[in-house]
Amino acid sequence: MLRTDEILSTIQMLHAESLDVRTVTLALNLDDCAAPSMDSLCRKLREKITGRASRLVETCNKVGRKYGIPIVNKRLAITPASHLLAGHGQAAALAVAKTLDEATAACGIDLVGGFSALVHKGITPADACVMRSLPEVLSQTKRVCASINVATTKAGVNMDAIGEMGRIILEIAAATAAQKGFGCAKLVVFANIPEDNPFMAGAYVGEGEPEAAVNIGVSGPNVVVSALRRRLALGKKLTLNELAEEIKLTSFRVTRVGELVGREVADELGIAFGIVDLSLAPTPKVGDSVGEILKTLGIAQIGAPGSTAAVAMLTDAVKKGGAFASSSVGGMSGAFIPVSEDEVLDNAVTKGWLSLEKLEAMTSVCSVGLDMIAIPGNTPAETIAAIIADEATIGVVNNKTTGVRLIPVPGAKVGDRVEYGGLFGGATIMEVRNSGASADFVNHGGRIPAPIQSLRN
Amino acid sequence: MKTQFPNAYVLNVLTGDHPGIIAAITRSVNQRGGNIDACSQTVVEGFFTLIMVISFAKPVEPDALATEIRGDQATGFQVVARKFVPPVVKPVAAVDRFVLTAFGKDKPGIVRRFSEYLAGKDINILDLFAHREGDDFLLIGQVEIPATRDLALLQADLEQIAAEEAFTVKLQHENIFVATNQLRFER
Repeated sequence: MLRTDEILSTIQMLHAESLDVRTVTLALNLDDCAAPSMDSLCRKLREKITGRASRLVETCNKVGRKYGIPIVNKRLAITPASHLLAGHGQAAALAVAKTLDEATAACGIDLVGGFSALVHKGITPADACVMRSLPEVLSQTKRVCASINVATTKAGVNMDAIGEMGRIILEIAAATAAQKGFGCAKLVVFANIPEDNPFMAGAYVGEGEPEAAVNIGVSGPNVVVSALRRRLALGKKLTLNELAEEIKLTSFRVTRVGELVGREVADELGIAFGIVDLSLAPTPKVGDSVGEILKTLGIAQIGAPGSTAAVAMLTDAVKKGGAFASSSVGGMSGAFIPVSEDEVLDNAVTKGWLSLEKLEAMTSVCSVGLDMIAIPGNTPAETIAAIIADEATIGVVNNKTTGVRLIPVPGAKVGDRVEYGGLFGGATIMEVRNSGASADFVNHGGRIPAPIQSLRN
Repeated sequence: MKTQFPNAYVLNVLTGDHPGIIAAITRSVNQRGGNIDACSQTVVEGFFTLIMVISFAKPVEPDALATEIRGDQATGFQVVARKFVPPVVKPVAAVDRFVLTAFGKDKPGIVRRFSEYLAGKDINILDLFAHREGDDFLLIGQVEIPATRDLALLQADLEQIAAEEAFTVKLQHENIFVATNQLRFER
């Protein structure tokens, strides 16, 4: 029989502290939809997606009701669109994207990720087709999310691809100028892209993944904040290792919720359970914030010295608790610091406490990079590329995933506000210092060689 | 359950909680040569209660047994003893375990309202906890729901009752509590 205190602590976590399953992402291999004719390709895409994903939303709702936990998003991740577009032209890219948009809409799915290309060592014609189509695709579809992997620890950093992405990001912003460059929020430029990530915009299905699987992303910043506050409220002076222990315990519980829900959804759908992504994913809701966790740990102004140490401790404790809770951990599994989606981080930027450089330092110890950062619309393409190069190199050298999701907001200058609404939140335009001073470096092109794997100091 | 000796009795004890209650009860049982076959005890708001199955090699008179265990009236024990008859095992329809939690401003009739609803749906209460804190009342029931019941309809009915009583109610499968609290979670 369950103990009363066990029941009450779970009820507290689920109903008072906003724990939810942030996403149930159905990972689906679409490679067998490839066809020489566009009509045939799009028909096969529609049939496979609606055939495999039509019960996803209904199943998530049923399982969520059984356990009393909301499942906020139901998403689809697919094998890279570049696989489907081999031998096709750019017009086909838009047709494929629109088909993905319509088929997922028909299933009630929120977003579809995997309009992707892996170009860390070189760009194939199909990859180029995906990349060049992004301004059209991200401005003319609602649900389609894209990711481009430009670097890996084994291959190094593809500066040709990064230079191209700097230009394309500005084109996407221009194509979605009426939505303040929102198209860029649906694109992540990665180093070491994870193959089973359930979170958008970077979800896709990598090589070696099964035909179909259910991957889970949990939420939980507010649960961690509440757990830390409860401990601190007892009045006893706590050391950082005691606070890390509390985070670890909370992460264990949060991960268990994700695995329970994921396995049941997978069973109901008759497909494999994939992974739980441990990442603490904030929302713009007050309190549901990774920044708030750092404040609770004692960083009064996010961006102040100590912020990097605090986020490293948080990320490590989350991984330790989660890894003990489940043997099926994957995806990014760290702590997200998406500026516009996290009310406390957004406030720190607005107040001038948190700079791009400090965010970069923080991302060297947590997933997943420079995320949802609004910058001036007149930032040069080479500077955007150089920011991507810096962030990708952090991932490559540290053997971890990093990503960049920058939004150059057309017509906006430092200090202006943009609001995207919903989970995307709002942001103050951040200063990009030394803008324009990296062009010669970026324009060399080529590849930064893969880092040496010995002499690790 | 097969008891140690053929003559089995069930004891129910109620008294104010204090150290030595179980020692006193088991001393009496042991002095008669009895064996303790099963036991569960709890303390609610300072009151101790216990239910115990005991067995003896030779038959005993239940009232005499209760009197003997009650012993000195100064202990304040209320003891009831009766012959233990193992429950008839009926074929049980498939059930699933859920946890009902209800929370709101206390008033008479809350437990009755929810328990009558559950009884009407053949839902067995395995464990019940209720507690008044200030003006608030918390009710937690661990229940077995026949597999044939539609969970969504039960939840809708309970939410309707909760709305009428100005309570918040949740009915959740027990696995969410097991998964989040216990190290080993068998699926």
